[in-house]
Amino acid sequence: MTNLPTNMPPPLSPTPATPISAAPSSVTPSSVTPSSVTPSSVTQSSDAAPASAQAHLVPDTGFDPAALILAILLPGLGHFVRRQKSRGVAIAVGVLGMFFGGILIGGIDVVDSREDRIWFLGQAMVGPIAFATDYYHQSQLKVVDPSVPGNLRSAYPNEGRNPITHLPVPGGKPPNTKSISRINELGTLFSTIAGMLNLIVIIDAAFPSRRRLSRA
Amino acid sequence: MLQTLLAYRPFLDPLPLDNAWYLLVVPLSLGVAMVYKAVRITDMRSYPRQVLIMSAQTVAAMIALGLGFFSFVEFVLPMIAPR
Repeated sequence: MTNLPTNMPPPLSPTPATPISAAPSSVTPSSVTPSSVTPSSVTQSSDAAPASAQAHLVPDTGFDPAALILAILLPGLGHFVRRQKSRGVAIAVGVLGMFFGGILIGGIDVVDSREDRIWFLGQAMVGPIAFATDYYHQSQLKVVDPSVPGNLRSAYPNEGRNPITHLPVPGGKPPNTKSISRINELGTLFSTIAGMLNLIVIIDAAFPSRRRLSRA
Repeated sequence: MLQTLLAYRPFLDPLPLDNAWYLLVVPLSLGVAMVYKAVRITDMRSYPRQVLIMSAQTVAAMIALGLGFFSFVEFVLPMIAPR
């Protein structure tokens, strides 16, 4: 892609594969079409894409509140609505894979807003999925015990849970197993890192870098 | 062992990886690389290759750090502060 100075006359016979670039100062996000690109943004492309492929590159700048809200709701959705589908899918697989991978490793016990509040602050950045997981853990798996702070605790290994009264039942099977030691630490780490990475994703969806061009 | 496996409930019970917990650094590095590269790179065509490279670099760096700290504690520290 060549950078045409503004004082040069336009080419007599431009090839269809060569987009005619306007002056960089005249390009605005609203006036950009798929066939026009800014020379500065094209030259910053790290991989030397062919000229025909550059016709699909569209500058992706500016704050988008819809992308911000959707990125908060579901990891990767903010990039998806910004016409960066493959990027959004990769983000969703990565963030949700790490979050649910942490739960798979350490059990649902790793997501606990009551017993591990500080870790939950990181897990909460995954979005409503983390809150839903914690709600299910607190309301459907824990047993009611007035002798502990908050009246809720995980069932012991030798007791079950009454589905109606939520009271512990001696001799039954616990609804879930509380993880300990390294497995609990690693499971918690997986899900918390997923949340912290999602914070970067949310910021990038709302305020994308001006140097990067979008490619669906 | 078979009864333990039959009693396992995914996502409710923890995985029985107490003796191989260090292997989990591989999926952890892979997940971090997937999200980081998805946000940073310009051309998504190179995404799989860059993810694998970054994952390998992360795992190698962790192994090197572990070996480095082990060597320091086992060999250097006794010379600095002998018993």
